Amino acid sequence: MTADALPTAAARPRRKQKNSRLRLFLDILNHGALTLVALVFLFPFFWMVSNAVRSDAEVLAVPPRLLPTEWQWQNFAEAWLHLPFGRFFFNSAIVAGGVTAITIVVSALAAYAFARLRFPGRDSIFVAYLGTLMIPQVMLVIPLFLIVNQLGWVNTYQGMILPMAFSSFGAFLLRQFFLSIPRELEEAALIDGASRLRILVSIIIPLSLPAIGLLALFTFIGQWNNFLWPLVVVNGMDYATLPLGLSMFQTEQGTSWNYIMAGAALSMLPGLVLAVVLQQVIYKGITVGAGFGGR
Amino acid sequence: MTETVSTPQATMAAPPRRRNRMGAQEARMAFIFLLPSLLGFIAFMLFPIVASLAISFTNWQLISAPSFIGFANYQRLFTLDPAFFTVLGNTLFFTAEYLVLNIVVSLGLAVWISSLKRGHRWFRVIFFLPTFTPSIAASVVWLLIFTPGGFMDTVFQTLSLQVPNLLLDPKLAMQAVIIVTLWANVGYNMVLFNAALDLVPQSYLEAAKIDGANAWDRFWKIRLPLISPTVFFGTVMTAITSLQVFDQIYVVTRGGPGSATATLGFAIYQNGFGNYQMGYASALAWVMFLIIMALTALQFWLQRKWVHYDS
Amino acid sequence: MKTTAMLAAAALLGAALAGPAMAQDQPVTITWQMWGSDENDIAAWQHLADMVTEAHPEITVELQTTPWNDYWTKLPVLAASGQLADIVAMQSLRMPNFYSLLEPLDDRIEADGFDIDAFDASIIGGMSHDGVVYGLPYDVGPWMMFYNKDKFEEAGLALPQPGWTLDEFKQAAVALTKDGGFGFGVVPNGYSIFAAALGADYINDEGQLDLTSTSALAAADEFLGLVTQEKVAPLVASGANPGDVIAGRFESGNIAMMVDGPWSLISKRDTVQFEMGLAPLPRGEGDLRAVTAGSGFGISASSQNKDAAWKAIQVITGPEALKYLAEAGRALPARKAEQTYWFDVAAAGVEGAREALEYSLSHSATYEITNNWNAVENLFTQYYPLAMTGSQTPEETMQTIQSLAQSQ
Repeated sequence: MTADALPTAAARPRRKQKNSRLRLFLDILNHGALTLVALVFLFPFFWMVSNAVRSDAEVLAVPPRLLPTEWQWQNFAEAWLHLPFGRFFFNSAIVAGGVTAITIVVSALAAYAFARLRFPGRDSIFVAYLGTLMIPQVMLVIPLFLIVNQLGWVNTYQGMILPMAFSSFGAFLLRQFFLSIPRELEEAALIDGASRLRILVSIIIPLSLPAIGLLALFTFIGQWNNFLWPLVVVNGMDYATLPLGLSMFQTEQGTSWNYIMAGAALSMLPGLVLAVVLQQVIYKGITVGAGFGGR
Repeated sequence: MTETVSTPQATMAAPPRRRNRMGAQEARMAFIFLLPSLLGFIAFMLFPIVASLAISFTNWQLISAPSFIGFANYQRLFTLDPAFFTVLGNTLFFTAEYLVLNIVVSLGLAVWISSLKRGHRWFRVIFFLPTFTPSIAASVVWLLIFTPGGFMDTVFQTLSLQVPNLLLDPKLAMQAVIIVTLWANVGYNMVLFNAALDLVPQSYLEAAKIDGANAWDRFWKIRLPLISPTVFFGTVMTAITSLQVFDQIYVVTRGGPGSATATLGFAIYQNGFGNYQMGYASALAWVMFLIIMALTALQFWLQRKWVHYDS
Repeated sequence: MKTTAMLAAAALLGAALAGPAMAQDQPVTITWQMWGSDENDIAAWQHLADMVTEAHPEITVELQTTPWNDYWTKLPVLAASGQLADIVAMQSLRMPNFYSLLEPLDDRIEADGFDIDAFDASIIGGMSHDGVVYGLPYDVGPWMMFYNKDKFEEAGLALPQPGWTLDEFKQAAVALTKDGGFGFGVVPNGYSIFAAALGADYINDEGQLDLTSTSALAAADEFLGLVTQEKVAPLVASGANPGDVIAGRFESGNIAMMVDGPWSLISKRDTVQFEMGLAPLPRGEGDLRAVTAGSGFGISASSQNKDAAWKAIQVITGPEALKYLAEAGRALPARKAEQTYWFDVAAAGVEGAREALEYSLSHSATYEITNNWNAVENLFTQYYPLAMTGSQTPEETMQTIQSLAQSQ
């Protein structure tokens, strides 16, 4: 979007030229300023990588050096090999993917019910749903472990996925979105005799791709980084996820700072790819129409 | 919570019996739609929540059997515990400052990005990057930056600025936590608000431009009201999570110096998993829950003043 | 006829011989929960588990590992849900918290005539509570002074010798604090170790925390004074693992001396890019009291296989197992006779290591801690920085910690 533009009713070449030059200058300033902000914002990542490729002894040198004296790119490989990172990646992907898939389906159904259908107790149940978002995970971990243990799901994928797949966050997010879709679209279909499920799948979901994309992104990332629950439910290395893996660089001998930084940088790559890919889904869907703002 | 939107009724006025049947049918439909979510909710949410409420009335120390002590934990919280009111104050202070800064910064970034001619995609990814950094890694990096003698101290020294080390000063330590938390989280709301801004129909903005409205007016009178449901969602979620803040505090300050950065979320973990006082920690968690509930209810009540839903 | 009789006799004999053995041969699988951070770790513990099966073929040990840092978060969760393994790894620092989860071993030690004296006495104390032994230790380590030998030689100082005093230590620290570097690194949790070395008492006769006793306060003055008065140690912020930050600064050459134990000797030696030396802690007026820490294995009180677990822990803390661990550089054995194997591996290349260890172990004392030591350590980490920056006096800080620790 450009800044204010004068109506181009009358042709005023000289002024137009000066204006377009001014506009270009302002545009460059605009982009440049944001780039500067972005660079400052990115500094901690630079610091992460810079510390990842230096020797452990250099990390806490005082004063710290901006760049390592010796670039140890092999730290990435060493961190990867020191622990079964491939396995951790795989487990994290399964768990995050599983939770995301289930969350989207379950939340979309529930959100539709909350947004469009009327039934006794609807609002009270929704308040209860919201309420669960206000309890810290820390408090629920132990009773949840007791349940999962009873089910025999300790140290299994289902034990890692299912307890995490029913957060009310998805229902809340999608409900807000569904509420702002105009009802006319559905009413027409209803009169034509379409079932609610059909409406959800054929009308609402396609219009909600931005919100669903966002939900997928947030859920996947939340699960990718989740530490407390996998810690409690996993034993050993076979089912460990990436955050647990990173924690393994802190041993009783001390902390391997550079390996933690290297491991962290590596573990961000899938999220990065996902963010870039899902952006397309989110922002392409926006051109279709209805959304968070409404018409 | 009830929406402030009034829903248009079905066009035809059906005779009572058919309406009841339609109502019953709709309720049944709703039940089917809700079923998967409810099952999971009851199994994995409701039971643990009720259990944690029950635990708050005991003196469970994890390794021994719990015994019922009534409201003793809650009494201790409000009267005997010297730390509780400090912790409560810290939490409210953090939430107030952080919530305002988060919304302002993320909204500002969202607007700024949408004002660009090119490069939207990259800027969005850049500001979103911290959110998928594992929090242990993010906290360690910031620890390295803030640690006495670390990067921050060196920069200030080189510039000959007499800025005290944030982590060492009880009055400033919370600011360090706010900086780290902001960095790690503005991406969420920024992406959310940016998407919402892009959804504002161009036609409205064009019309306003022709009427002579400048960018400032266009923002406050058109774009902001139209994205207000999203901003509301962002505010509610951010308030809920910021009242529970824990991760950054645990790594960067451990509640110190002294108890300057001890918040409710930290106190709950500290008491529960640090000192194994599960009963007391549960009581703390429930008090925190009530506070969050109250604040959220307040926000929902205030929404009629500034949130515009589609009607 | 004769053959039948002989066969019958042989069968009877066989049955008689096989009888008692068969009763013992019931195969049993027991679980062992242990911390382990990488595949080398896990392989080492697995080796020990296999040694159990070699010695007792009917016992199979199933290893369950958790990363070191998180083992202590997980343990109470497992205990709370009745999921403790048969063999539970325990650290002396946490024994007061968790002894109630473990089976007292005194009766078994007596009944089997187990030679408990083959172990270092201070760590047996560490593995006990109220005089009852709850675990057999596998390693022991006194806290000692690690120092940067290169810096000492540059400054023309004599290297620290066993038996050196607090004053000698302070003199060295002052001489080493220059050009942005520091002589020593004060870690808040290190107070109790430092105080014990000087002979101060921070726990009273009833086993309760007493941080405001005269000797405890005097030790705090000395300890914090290193930061505030002599200025030989840098400021430390509260946060996760200030010990790791100080260790990092030592490894980068910014700090010349720091307190740590033999468990980190090998990884430090491999990380630092200078010559390292080891000395016992400095003593006060009297003899050195070198407190030790170590880890061992207990039997969970709720185990269904206590007999098998008892046999197993004897094997994994036995001479052969500890020799294996020592030669792998993994642990300084709790058994006195096996300690020499570790010196050959780990202490190689570190100035004065053998002498420092032998001196410290001969002056070893059980580390006195309270039941809520975890909480106490957290309080030190939170509140000591206030004293270091001068916001509070050492006395005020100790009083704050004392009153908060008691309300937990």
